[in-house]
Amino acid sequence: MAEIKTEDGKKEKHYLYLDGETISGKVSIKLKKAGTRLEHHGIKVEFVGQIELYYDRGNHHEFTSLVRELARPGELTSNVSYDFEFNQVEKPYESYTGTNVRLRYFLRLTVVKRLSDLVKEQDIVVHTLSHYPDMNSSIKMEVGIEDSLHIEFEYNKSKYHLQDVIVGKIYFILVRIKIRHMELQIIKRETTGIGPNTFNENETIAKFEIMDGAPVRGESIPIRLFLNGYELTPTMRDINKKFSVRYYLNLVLVDEEDRRYFKQQEITVFRKADKVRKSVRNASAKFGSQDVAAHVQSPSSDHTDASSPRYEHNYIAD
Amino acid sequence: MMTPQEEQEKLLEEALTVVRTQSFQMKRCLDKSKLMDGLKHASNMLSELRTSLLSPKSYYELYMAISDELCHLETYLLDEFSKGRKVTDLYELVQYAGNIIPRLYLLITVGVVYIKSNELSRKDILKDLVEMCRGVQHPLRGLFLRNYLLQCTKNVLPDAEEDAEGGEVSVMSHAAPRAIAGLNKMVNSSDADAGTVRDSIDFIQLNFAEMNKLWVRMQHQGHSRDREKREQERRELRILVGTNLVRLSQLECVDVEKYKKLVLPGVLEQVVSCKDAIAQEYLMECVIQVFPDEYHLQTLNSFLHACVDLHPDVNIKNVIIALIDRLAQFSRKGDVARTIPMEIQLFDIFSQQISLIIQNRPDMPPEDIVSLQVALINLALKCYPTKLDYVDKVLETTEEIFHRLNLDHLDAASAVSRELARLMKIPIDSYNNVLELLKLEHYGPLMEYFDYQARKSISTHLILNALENETVIPSPEQVEGILNIVGPLVQDQSDQPEIDDEEDFAEEQGYMGRFIHLLSGDTPDQQYLVLSTARKHFGNGGNRRIRHTLPPIVFAAYRLALKYYQLREEDEKWEKKCGKIFQFCHQTIGALMKAELTELPLRLFLQGALVISQLDFENHETVAYEFMSQAFTLYEDEISDSKAQLAAITLIVSTFEKISCFGEENHEPLRTQCTLAASKLLKKPDQCRGVVVCSHMFWSGKSKDRAGKELRDGKRVVECLKKAGRIANQCMDKSVQVQLYVEILNSQIYFYENGCSEIQVSSINELIAKIREDLPNLESNDESDQINKHFANTITHLKIAKLQSSSNFSYDGLDP
Repeated sequence: MAEIKTEDGKKEKHYLYLDGETISGKVSIKLKKAGTRLEHHGIKVEFVGQIELYYDRGNHHEFTSLVRELARPGELTSNVSYDFEFNQVEKPYESYTGTNVRLRYFLRLTVVKRLSDLVKEQDIVVHTLSHYPDMNSSIKMEVGIEDSLHIEFEYNKSKYHLQDVIVGKIYFILVRIKIRHMELQIIKRETTGIGPNTFNENETIAKFEIMDGAPVRGESIPIRLFLNGYELTPTMRDINKKFSVRYYLNLVLVDEEDRRYFKQQEITVFRKADKVRKSVRNASAKFGSQDVAAHVQSPSSDHTDASSPRYEHNYIAD
Repeated sequence: MMTPQEEQEKLLEEALTVVRTQSFQMKRCLDKSKLMDGLKHASNMLSELRTSLLSPKSYYELYMAISDELCHLETYLLDEFSKGRKVTDLYELVQYAGNIIPRLYLLITVGVVYIKSNELSRKDILKDLVEMCRGVQHPLRGLFLRNYLLQCTKNVLPDAEEDAEGGEVSVMSHAAPRAIAGLNKMVNSSDADAGTVRDSIDFIQLNFAEMNKLWVRMQHQGHSRDREKREQERRELRILVGTNLVRLSQLECVDVEKYKKLVLPGVLEQVVSCKDAIAQEYLMECVIQVFPDEYHLQTLNSFLHACVDLHPDVNIKNVIIALIDRLAQFSRKGDVARTIPMEIQLFDIFSQQISLIIQNRPDMPPEDIVSLQVALINLALKCYPTKLDYVDKVLETTEEIFHRLNLDHLDAASAVSRELARLMKIPIDSYNNVLELLKLEHYGPLMEYFDYQARKSISTHLILNALENETVIPSPEQVEGILNIVGPLVQDQSDQPEIDDEEDFAEEQGYMGRFIHLLSGDTPDQQYLVLSTARKHFGNGGNRRIRHTLPPIVFAAYRLALKYYQLREEDEKWEKKCGKIFQFCHQTIGALMKAELTELPLRLFLQGALVISQLDFENHETVAYEFMSQAFTLYEDEISDSKAQLAAITLIVSTFEKISCFGEENHEPLRTQCTLAASKLLKKPDQCRGVVVCSHMFWSGKSKDRAGKELRDGKRVVECLKKAGRIANQCMDKSVQVQLYVEILNSQIYFYENGCSEIQVSSINELIAKIREDLPNLESNDESDQINKHFANTITHLKIAKLQSSSNFSYDGLDP
């Protein structure tokens, strides 16, 4: 199970899948009252990956859609359940809920009826894992304002995993302004749309004071920022040509007159793939109508679980 | 409007209120085992320390209050840890605090808890803490934060010897459980390690350097008009910086070698490079105070070398003096194990380094230069009491400096003169033997740099020291030496002011007079040379001085003559020598005469005559006669006041009466001269009394012809008394007359009772009757009362004497 934020800021827990993992489960449809009949034009379960842009609610961009027919048109007279499986499904992107955009995966069960279909959706969460990058050079840069401030900063890496720690230092080469304090911010920039319709949404995820008071020339100020405590997602670049999520480290110096001097530097955030995941026991969600209750049961993706040998899992693991 | 102080109080009170509230909440959460909430309240509490509004004093109070509360947190965490309830990643968790001040305080608190629970983590943690504290660059907040670090780590600093092999400790640590979650992520070192004293030194020195930088930085903040206030505040905070040095000194594994190689160089480098006078002065003194003397002895050169490089505003003399005083104290403790090692040339080192310091500081006030020399001389005297050349070296250096600075005639009121006077008095007071001073070649020359007043004051000090210690001056060279040094007390000086306080002058010359009695050669011959030398010097003293200084010389010479006489068996030339001595005396007294003194030479001549009469050397009668005749000449030529005349004649007569060396050919004219002089006195009562005195000459005077026996010339005695009676009779003033009668009566009685048969009882009776007749007519006043009493006493005496019959005389027929 993994948590994900919903559009309204609440958190929900859903099953967690990785790219290429098989999604399998069981759909149980219960009739509300025994003995009633349910006529339908077919039962299917779909696996959908889609991007929703909030300003364009009507158009959901599905980048993945797979269908499994569970039953031909007919009639249900008793409770029934169907096993289903999407074998080794490609899930190229990570689930994401942002300010203007959402990327979600879900299973949709549809009981096609004459008038209105019975539909039940079940979200799942997808994480994309990355190998530890081969190239991870430090970020080192000298910046300054002529004759008043000249600093050199260094972050130990350019790519950080979500539980990583940013270590670095700021070296003051020239200080002619009275600095009051210095902070390191993590800024998340969500970009949606293309071309002239591009929207940028900046959000300051972290404000972390790293220096109090005015340094003099030659001082070297240490930076150590643990990322684990902040709500970060992996960096996403040009997801399906719809949106991007990028992270920046913003070094901000504030002087005694409240003037701010800053320098932004992009970092890449990734989800590290070296942890063996546990979790995901069976759980069920209910949905129903006047006369039907449908049940989508998701699988356990715990490959150590001997009781569910049916499910294969592909890990991108090292 | 609130005063700044009230405002401070208010701000502090507000902050303390928050602290109380938050710490209460913190404790409540901890009691309920809600650690995260507890930490949140701790962080809120610590946020109060982010203020910029408090003065250092108020901030200190706030800090104390908060650090007390943090103790509670630490105790709680230690307790939890010891129960095995470790909180994973606590070290990381506290680092999420957004503000750096609360974050670092919490980090230190937690770090120390980790160390206390698992010693093997401490090396890494200490290193991490001291590095992370760099984030606080605000001087006041930074100083207190680092002070907190120092305070918390006080008892956990590694203090083990370094392992020479360097392997064992880390091998062990491989097996050690890794307790520090969150720490490993940022400390590169892969081996947990309890660390050695080396790590502690690095830790403290880094902290020290950073604190010092912050402390120095305070100086350069704010308006220049607040400079004084700022410096005051800095002084209040200095102890925080100094605590680092105290910690270093508390490390038991820091021995002399480590101190020399690791500790001191680091400290000195920091002190020198900070280029701040207040810091340098304080820290150098701190180093001196906190480390043991043995360490200083082994590192003198580097310490003093650093002194050379200090800021010109540093009052370097205080630093050096503090060190010298410590070391001087050290060597005086007398403990054998604590003597200064031979190989350390303490004096030479100081001497060289001090001259370097002086060279490097052309603007150093001369009084400070002298102060340094004072310290140096103290060192020489205390550590090397036998090495006179050290002291002399200091004097020489000082002289050179004064010469170079072209200083001269230092005003006694100036600081430099006072300081130099201190320098000059130290050897005096330390040796308590002025002869030692003479061995100092540069003592005298250095005196020349003072003005008259100061020279005189030091001279007086020197002479008094000799008097107090009764230092005997045994050789003419030494006399010469000392008198040259104390010139202002001996002779007029070119820079002497016109007016000199008469009383002071007399007092000083009185000291010199006493000093002369300390001049004493080992042998009489030596003593003669000593006195001649003294005479030569004092003789130039001018009229005002010689009256104080020559008489003691004359008396000393008389004593010397007596000495020769005592040794006459051993020294065959004694007579000649005595003759020479009296010649010397004659001359000396002559000098006093030339100074238009009368009574003093008169007395000295008489005294001389008395001495001569006892010494049976060749020609002594002639010499004695010369002395007596000189006295007479003085009497006749120089004394005009009648009272003085009477006194002088009385003195001459009584002296003469005691002298037995004259033969009749000399005795007779002197006798006659005396009687004549007495009867020629101007006033009748004076005449009367003078003649009465003369009567004794004829009775108890002695002459060589009678083999020193008394003359017993009763006839002349009676003549004298009769003459006195006649003179008394001529007195107009009745009461004076009666008084004279009573006095004559007493003389009659004296001679009668001493066997002068020429005195008739009848004449006594006659005189008594006369007095009885006149007495009642006197006016009653104090004077007549006294006369009555005198007379009554006389009568009482006679009555008693009459009853006690004696073989010598009888008062038969007396009618008292």
